[in-house]
Amino acid sequence: MPAATHEISETLIRDNITRAVCDVFKTMLQRTAKLDQMSISGGPEECPPALRDENLSQKPQVVGTVGFLGDINGLIYLYFDDSFAKGCTGHLLGMSPAEVIEAGDEVINDAIGEITNMTVGSFKNGLCDQGYPCKLTIPSILRGSNFSIEPISDSLRFIYSFDAQGERLVADIILKVGE
Amino acid sequence: MRNKILTVDDSKTVRIIVRKTFKSYDCEILEAANGVEGLALAAKSMPDLILLDVTMPVMDGVEMLTKLKSDPQLKGIPVMMLTAEGGRDHVLKIAKIGVRDYIVKPFEEDVLVEKAGRIIDLKPLVDGPAKARSLTDPATILVVEDKPAIIQQIQEGLKHTPWKIIGAATQGEAIDYCSKTPPDLVIVSLSLPEESAFALFRLLRTNVKTKYTPVFGLVVKTETGTLQQAQTVGFTTVITKPIDCSDLESRIAKAMNLDTSTRYFSIEEGFFVFKMPENCTQAVLAEIATYLKPKLTEAVDAGHNRAIINVSALRTLHMGVIKQLVQAMQLCRDASVNYVLVGNAQLVSECKGFEETRTWSFFETVEDARASFGKATAAPALATA
Repeated sequence: MPAATHEISETLIRDNITRAVCDVFKTMLQRTAKLDQMSISGGPEECPPALRDENLSQKPQVVGTVGFLGDINGLIYLYFDDSFAKGCTGHLLGMSPAEVIEAGDEVINDAIGEITNMTVGSFKNGLCDQGYPCKLTIPSILRGSNFSIEPISDSLRFIYSFDAQGERLVADIILKVGE
Repeated sequence: MRNKILTVDDSKTVRIIVRKTFKSYDCEILEAANGVEGLALAAKSMPDLILLDVTMPVMDGVEMLTKLKSDPQLKGIPVMMLTAEGGRDHVLKIAKIGVRDYIVKPFEEDVLVEKAGRIIDLKPLVDGPAKARSLTDPATILVVEDKPAIIQQIQEGLKHTPWKIIGAATQGEAIDYCSKTPPDLVIVSLSLPEESAFALFRLLRTNVKTKYTPVFGLVVKTETGTLQQAQTVGFTTVITKPIDCSDLESRIAKAMNLDTSTRYFSIEEGFFVFKMPENCTQAVLAEIATYLKPKLTEAVDAGHNRAIINVSALRTLHMGVIKQLVQAMQLCRDASVNYVLVGNAQLVSECKGFEETRTWSFFETVEDARASFGKATAAPALATA
């Protein structure tokens, strides 16, 4: 029986995504990440300008997506600036910047897909251990600039921005509201 | 035989990371992108270890694991999960099907190597296929000893070598050091409290990174029981106190499989120089015999056809030395290399007492020997062994 999404507190979401992002960045990319801005749909605070839809993809983006299905259902989008995505790919695979460019978008997509998979996996493992069992979906990648992801009306949206040593990472979490 | 590791993951990134993680170990990495490919490759190649993801298209990891464990041919292959699926219930469910270990992504490469090393015998690859490490190459030697004076004595005795001697007073300090920077060789005092030398030895042998690191025991000569115990459990060798640093150096070189030829052979100012050390024990003579022909051949190949056989450091002449010198001179003649001998007064006198050596002529110094080659008739006249 899916849990009513409104039962899940924002703190639980924030703590889990912060832990997941920090853990993946530290372990796989040897880079620290720190939560610096957030926006919650329907929340009391106004959405910071940097996290508004129209500003999320002003520069070319590589966005990894992984969903989770079970007692809680949702999707997480991780936004990487194109140059940051290339840097992460190089670090993860032990490749120079020139090698990453030569390897092409397919390799970058796969690397960002895997970073997203690990991050969402870590996020949802936290939810599982806190009583909301669910499973991961297969990652996919969205590329481009000047686009917006708009959730359907009966969903909750949480946007968190992280400072990863001077690079920005945005985690856009969309939860389907339960029955 | 080389170990085979099969990584089954739909992410090429993970497969590359796995390949990168094990690149310094003697093993073959096989790749499959889903459970169907994984099962087929497992049946064909019979890997020694499978690293298995859970969420994959076509056939996921749980289904592949279930099929693998129900196949009499394949069920014995150890499986280690490497997946982002790490909720407690999920792990328990998979563990029941039968896995040897479970790593939740994100993962550190060291952890993967360590856990894989508990299941298969991971041997580090030797750097480079041909070039042996020599006495002039740097190395790190960890001395685990609670008596600072002993560490100091070893540091002092080996200070002429390029080796860095690191001291650790306890088993804990040694483990910390080894986990950060695996040394090239470990010397452990067998008199550390509570038999911790033996506990340390076991830990070093279970860690993939130090599994093949030479470990020397250090004990007072009269402690025969401890000495035997160390030999029985597999210490590379046991050094007795008081320490003979010259002997220790030789044993370290041997244990690290170093090329020690530079002790005896060199090319100086266009001459192939063969220098006999002060004390020519049987071990030294055996070492010289191993290198003599290849080193001379190497010199001739590089265009050097003049040799100086320098025995001026030698303390005493005995049959082993004479045989070695006769062989060296014969090899020079066979290779059309002109040679001269350099010796000290005592040696020249001793040579008169042996039938084989009474006709040998010596120069007093290397400079004189070198200069003699400039004189047209000097070299052949001297080479009259």
